[in-house]
Amino acid sequence: MKTILVVDDEWAIAEVLDALLGDEGFRVIVANNGKQGLERLAEWPADLIMLDFMMPILDGPSTFAALKANPGTAGIPVIFMSSLPEETVAQRCSGYQAFLRKPFRIAAVLDAVEKVLG
Amino acid sequence: MSDRRIEKLATGIEGLDTILEGGVLRGGIYIIQGTPGAGKTILGNQLCFNYAARGGRALYVTLLAETHGRMLAHIGSLGFFNEAAIPDGVSYLSAFRILETEGLKGLTDALRREIRARQINLLILDGLVSAEETAGTPREFKKFIHELQIQADLADCTMILLTSAAADQGFASAEHTMVDGLIELRSRLRDRRAERDLLVHKMRGGGFLRGVHSFQVTDQGISVQPRIEALLATPSLPTAADGPKLSTGVPMLDDMLGGGLHRHSSTLVMGAAGSGKSTIGHHFLGAQNEPGLYLSFDEDPSSIRFKAQSLNLPVAPLYDNGQVDILWQPSTEGVFDEICLRLLERVRSRGVKRVFIDGINDFVQMTGDQSRIGPALTALANEFRALGAVMVGTFELDFNGIVPGQPLTGLPILGLSPIAENIIVMRYAALGADIHRLIVTLKARDNAIRPEFRYYDIKAHGIEIDRDAVRASRILNELIRNGGNTAASLATAPFASDKPSGAGT
Repeated sequence: MKTILVVDDEWAIAEVLDALLGDEGFRVIVANNGKQGLERLAEWPADLIMLDFMMPILDGPSTFAALKANPGTAGIPVIFMSSLPEETVAQRCSGYQAFLRKPFRIAAVLDAVEKVLG
Repeated sequence: MSDRRIEKLATGIEGLDTILEGGVLRGGIYIIQGTPGAGKTILGNQLCFNYAARGGRALYVTLLAETHGRMLAHIGSLGFFNEAAIPDGVSYLSAFRILETEGLKGLTDALRREIRARQINLLILDGLVSAEETAGTPREFKKFIHELQIQADLADCTMILLTSAAADQGFASAEHTMVDGLIELRSRLRDRRAERDLLVHKMRGGGFLRGVHSFQVTDQGISVQPRIEALLATPSLPTAADGPKLSTGVPMLDDMLGGGLHRHSSTLVMGAAGSGKSTIGHHFLGAQNEPGLYLSFDEDPSSIRFKAQSLNLPVAPLYDNGQVDILWQPSTEGVFDEICLRLLERVRSRGVKRVFIDGINDFVQMTGDQSRIGPALTALANEFRALGAVMVGTFELDFNGIVPGQPLTGLPILGLSPIAENIIVMRYAALGADIHRLIVTLKARDNAIRPEFRYYDIKAHGIEIDRDAVRASRILNELIRNGGNTAASLATAPFASDKPSGAGT
């Protein structure tokens, strides 16, 4: 069973992704900010990280940088999620695998996960 | 002695800053309360983007609210929204999970950290009701508000808390007494129309315009119109009382007014539909080649131009070359204060010297509150005087005509008399099968007048008034002689007393 770490401060979105991806047979771990996400990762190695862009405590770009700086997590694929256009995200981060613009549809989420995990 | 006054933070919404006399206090804490759909979220976002446009950094924190994606999709089409300002100028965070897991203490800690880390000076907290529900006791909630207040002050971060409220909820809760200001947004129905009101219940650190103000959600965002009578309680300039007399454009009417209109005066022209009130307005606007403004609630600009051309009136070329501007505002959806402000803005920006309002009835109808119309129009008229603009307005009467022997019976004043230095009345008199038109000046400021009816007609070149009262006397005397024996077809109307039509002119 593959593990997906969902990092999003918006409670409702994290809950929905947890349920949706759980139904698809993934183990889903949820964190509410980047700092918590990194802590969860130490406990639950993930195959994919779905990472929100704007979050409290540690935001998406800082979390992404921390992931890339750590050889143990640098290889984990990341799907960025944001209400902003991808260009704004791309200005601050590079090397992520996919982007989901909020609000998104279920099909778009599943397509992105499928594309990244194969 | 040093100046201890706290600097203000402009909201960037012109009308709101006028009401708040410059804005809110920097480092202050405010509650914006309103029923669902009143416009709180739009206002909160607009404050953030306005602040970011001035180089500031704002943070919008949601508790239990719509997702940020949805919110941005909703506000994305509004004029104030600027996607490029996110995330450096405006950032969005959800703190509901923190509130759920760590309580109010966790929320205050998180806000403090984010304010510091992001160097935020304006924070919007959307969904205060969720924080209140999390608090175990009212005392705990008060402590939370108090901690925010301290944080706001220490961090020089103005905090605005958005919260829903039932329409009949009072404003005596602890949080209302603790915060620096309290603004209420209301949405209400007037007949079948939805209208929005803004009330400032409290604002520490300075004065503010009290009472109920109008606001709308337009494609540019929220626009606020201060209550006109409060805004113009004192005219913006000293009011001059003298000045040359101006022509109305109808020489005989000038004669009846004792030589014309004073530059700093307002005039009311009252009459039934078809009596020629609008034609008087055309004459007035074309009497001199100076900037004029025609505010019309019924006739559209092309109809107004066509009428002026058909009657070969001097104003016709002035409409064409823009010297006289036409402001058309169908009364069906207009908001009184917004129209007054638009009117004033045009007068100020164009240096308008002659204003014609057709008609005052529509203003009366639009306020939705009869008690406002007298003070509001008095304030407006005073401001026109201060700006050196002479104003003529029409007031439509019913078709009821002259009562024999009592030609002025039943004229409605409705508190309008104080706004007008001059009052002109145009009335029908039915005699046999003929309907005659009579005109009288009832009031003319500082001019010696002899109030007497004159016969008039609307001819190829507009209004033509008799040089004397001979024909009018003959008609009125004949009416008295005939008593109730006038033509049956018009027996009812001319002998009933007038009432204001209440409808558009």
